[in-house]
Amino acid sequence: MRRTFLKASLVALAVATGLVQLPSIADAATRGGKMVYARYADSLFLDPVLNDANVDIWVLTNLYDTLLQPTADGLGVQPGLATKWDVSGDGKTVTLALRPGVKFADGSALTADDVKWSLDRARDPKAGAWNSSLASIESVSVSGPETVTLALKHPDPTILPALATFNSAILPQKAFEASPGATPEEKAKSFAEKPIGTGPFVMTAWKRGVSMTLKRNPYYWKQGEDGKPLPYLDELEFQIIPDDATRLLKLKAGEIDGTEFIPYARVKELQADPNLRMELWPSTRVRYLTFYCGPTYKDGKPNPVANPKVRQALNYAVNKDAIIQITTLGLGKPMRSFMSATTPLFVGQDNLYKYDLAKAKALLAEAGMANGFDLQIYSLSGNGDDANDLAAVQQMWAQVGVKLRIDQVDNATRTARYREENFGMRTSAWTNDISDPSQITSYFAYWPNIHSLHSNWQDKRVDELFEKSQQEIDPKARAEQYREIQQRYNESAPILYLYETPYPVAFRKNAKGFVQIPLGNNLFEAAYIEK
Amino acid sequence: MSKAGLIAARLLQIVPTFLLIGVVVFVLARLLPGDPVSAMLGDRASDEAVNRLRQQMGLDRTIFEQFAIFLENAVRGDFGTSIAFRVPVTSVIAERLPVTLALTGLATLIALGLAVPLAFVAGLNANRWPDFLIRSVFQVGLSSPVFYVGLILLTVFAAWFRWFPVGGYGEGVADILWHLLLPAVTLALSFAAVIMRNLRASVLEVLNAEFVDFARAKGLSRRVILTRHVLRNALISTVTLVGLHAGSLLGGAVITESVFAVPGMGRLMVDSIFARDYPMIQALTLILAVVVSLAFLVTDLVQMALDPRVAR
Repeated sequence: MRRTFLKASLVALAVATGLVQLPSIADAATRGGKMVYARYADSLFLDPVLNDANVDIWVLTNLYDTLLQPTADGLGVQPGLATKWDVSGDGKTVTLALRPGVKFADGSALTADDVKWSLDRARDPKAGAWNSSLASIESVSVSGPETVTLALKHPDPTILPALATFNSAILPQKAFEASPGATPEEKAKSFAEKPIGTGPFVMTAWKRGVSMTLKRNPYYWKQGEDGKPLPYLDELEFQIIPDDATRLLKLKAGEIDGTEFIPYARVKELQADPNLRMELWPSTRVRYLTFYCGPTYKDGKPNPVANPKVRQALNYAVNKDAIIQITTLGLGKPMRSFMSATTPLFVGQDNLYKYDLAKAKALLAEAGMANGFDLQIYSLSGNGDDANDLAAVQQMWAQVGVKLRIDQVDNATRTARYREENFGMRTSAWTNDISDPSQITSYFAYWPNIHSLHSNWQDKRVDELFEKSQQEIDPKARAEQYREIQQRYNESAPILYLYETPYPVAFRKNAKGFVQIPLGNNLFEAAYIEK
Repeated sequence: MSKAGLIAARLLQIVPTFLLIGVVVFVLARLLPGDPVSAMLGDRASDEAVNRLRQQMGLDRTIFEQFAIFLENAVRGDFGTSIAFRVPVTSVIAERLPVTLALTGLATLIALGLAVPLAFVAGLNANRWPDFLIRSVFQVGLSSPVFYVGLILLTVFAAWFRWFPVGGYGEGVADILWHLLLPAVTLALSFAAVIMRNLRASVLEVLNAEFVDFARAKGLSRRVILTRHVLRNALISTVTLVGLHAGSLLGGAVITESVFAVPGMGRLMVDSIFARDYPMIQALTLILAVVVSLAFLVTDLVQMALDPRVAR
C-alpha cells in the first residue's frame, strides 16, 4: 500500500514538474540481479550520528531506517519504523508506536530499547555535528514493548521531520556495543566498517575509494508491488569514479547501470541516447554567492557591500536567466527566496531581483557608490560551475563599475577563510537535510548560529521570529513567521541570488526504480534491472 | 666501490634524506590554509564541533609536539590513522601501492618496448624517411596532455570497439593487465618519446665513436657491432634516464589514475591533499620517496653491470 502511494506521489511529482521522463511504472518490477551505480566520491564514515558529509548522508537510508521517513516530495513525513505517532495537545509529548516484527540485517529483533539507545546517542550534545536537531528532547522512555515516548523541553514543530532525518536512524544496541574498541568512538568506527541496520541492504564488502557491495537484507520490512518484501535487487554495487567523462563513458559502454552528477553540458546528449534514460530529480539545491556583510573587512578596510542598497544593486545588475543558460544550459530555475521552492513553508517572490541595469545604477548612486568599487570572491579551482557563474557575474558587474577579483582556491582553503569570516564573497551551494525550513534558516538568516553563513548579517527581528517559530506548533502562525523571515531576508539580500538545479542522474534504459528525494537521499529499495 | 659497498652507502644516505623529507612534508602540509577539520566538517559545523574535533585529533597542540608524536610513532612503523578514512594509513596504502607499482611498471615496459627498437631504427636511418616518421609520431606523443590522450584511448578502444574496459581495476593477473593496458599506454607515450629521442642521439653518437670505427676495421660483423658495442653503450644513458624518470612517472600516474578510475596512490594523494589528511599525506610522501630512492639504487646497479667504469 505504502509503496504504491509513494510511487503514485512520485510519478505525480515528476510529471507535474515535467522533469523526469516517465519511467514505465506500469511494468512489474523484476526481482533479482545486480545493479552497478557509479558515484563521484566514496563514503567516508557510515555512522548516522558521527558522519559529516553528503557522501555518507545520501546513501545511509539504504542501510538504516529512521522512525519516520521524508515523503518523496520532501515536504512531509510518512511512517518508517514507527507506524503511528501522536503529539500531545501541549506539544510536549510525542508517542510513537513501533512497527511490529522488524528485524535488523543480522536477524536480531528491533526493540524499543534499541530506539531509546539510538535516539539518546544521536541527541548527545557531545556527539557529532547534527545533535542540535534533537535538542528539544528532555528524555526518551520505553513505555511498552512497542511504544516509545519522547518528553520535550518545549513544543517543537521540527521534531517529526527531525525523526525522519538520517542522524536519528535506529541502530542495534547489542551489535554496536559488541563491536571492537575501548571507547564509544572506537566502537563507532568498527561498527561503521560493517554497519547493521534495518534498511533494505546490508554492506558485505567495502574497498575504500574503489567500490562498495551491498546485498539484499532478507529481513527488510517494506513490501514491493508484488506483495513480497523489498528490495528487488539481490545486489547493489557502488563504484567510485571521480572523473565525469569516465563515468559517462562507462555508462554508455554498459559497464555500469547508472550514475550521478551528470554535467549539465552533457544532459541533452544523454537525453538523445536511445540506450539511456536521463533523470532530473527535483531538489532542494540552491546556488548563490555569499556576501560578507559586516561594516569592515578583517584587514580593517570599509566593506562597500555592508549597505543593503549596494547588495540589492549588485543583485539587480546580474542577469540570472543568462547565467542559467550559460552554466546549467537552461536546466536551472531562478531562486525566488533563499530557500528552494521545494522547502516546506517556502514563500517565493516571482522575478526576485530581475535583471534591471538602470535600477542597479540608481541604487548604487543612492548609496554613494556611483563610481563603483572593487570586490573579491573565493571560488573553487577546477569547478566548472564556479568558473562559468563568475565569468558572467564579473562581466555584468563591470557594467556598473564593480571590479570583481576571483581567487581560485581549494575547498579546505575556502572553508577556512569562511570560518575566519575573512572573505569578500564566496561561491556556495546548499541542500536541505531535513523536511523543514528551520535548518536552512538557522544557517542563512539566524545570526546566533554561525553569524548567518559567517556573513555577519543580522536582523534582530529575524532572530526573534526564528526563535518563536522553533516553538510554534500552530502551523498557520509558523507559516506567517516564515513568510516574514523570507521577506525581510530577501529584501536585505545578504546573498547574490543565482539558481535552483535538479539532481541530474542517468541510467541504462533497463535500470529502473531509483528515487532521489529533494533532500538528496538515494533510494535503491525499489530499484530493479529489467531483463 | 664494490656492489655491496655501494648499496650500503646508498642506504646510509637514504636515512637523512627521509628525515629531511619527513620534516618538509610535515611542515608543508600544515602550511596549507585550512586543516583536516575544516575540510571534513565542511561549511555547516559549529565552532564547538570544530574545536572538539581539533582537540580529538591533537591539532590543538604545538607543531613541535605534533612532530615529536609523529616521529615517535613513525619509528615504530605506526604512521597513524587516516583522518578521512578513519582506518590506519598503512592498510589503505597497502591496497594502493601495488596498483600504482603495477601501472608504472607496465608503463615503463611499454615505453621501453616501443622506444628502444624504434630508436635504433631511427638512429641507423638518421635523416632518412623512417627517422622522420618515427620522430614525428613520437613528437605528437610527447606534446599531448596525458588526460586528453587517456580520454581519446578510452573513447576509441573502450567505448567504441569495446576491446578494453572503461577504467577500473581487475582481479587476477590477466584481468588486471587487461584493465591496466590502456592507462599504461597513456602513461608510456610521452615517456617513450623522451627515451626514444635520447637513445637515438646516443646511437648516433656511438655509431660515430672511434671504437666503433675500430671494431669495423677489425672486421666484426654488423650484428656484433650493433649489439655488443652500440646497444650496450647507448643503453647506459637510457638506464639513467629511466631511473631519473621514476618520480615523474609516479607524478603522471596521478592524472592517469583519475581518468581511468584506477585505485592507486596518485588518486589517493590528490584526495588526501584536498582532505588535508595529514597522516596520509605524510605516509604517502615517505613511501613515494622510498620507491624513488630504490629506483635510483637499481639504476646505479644496472649501470654498474653495463659499464664497469661506474663501479670503479
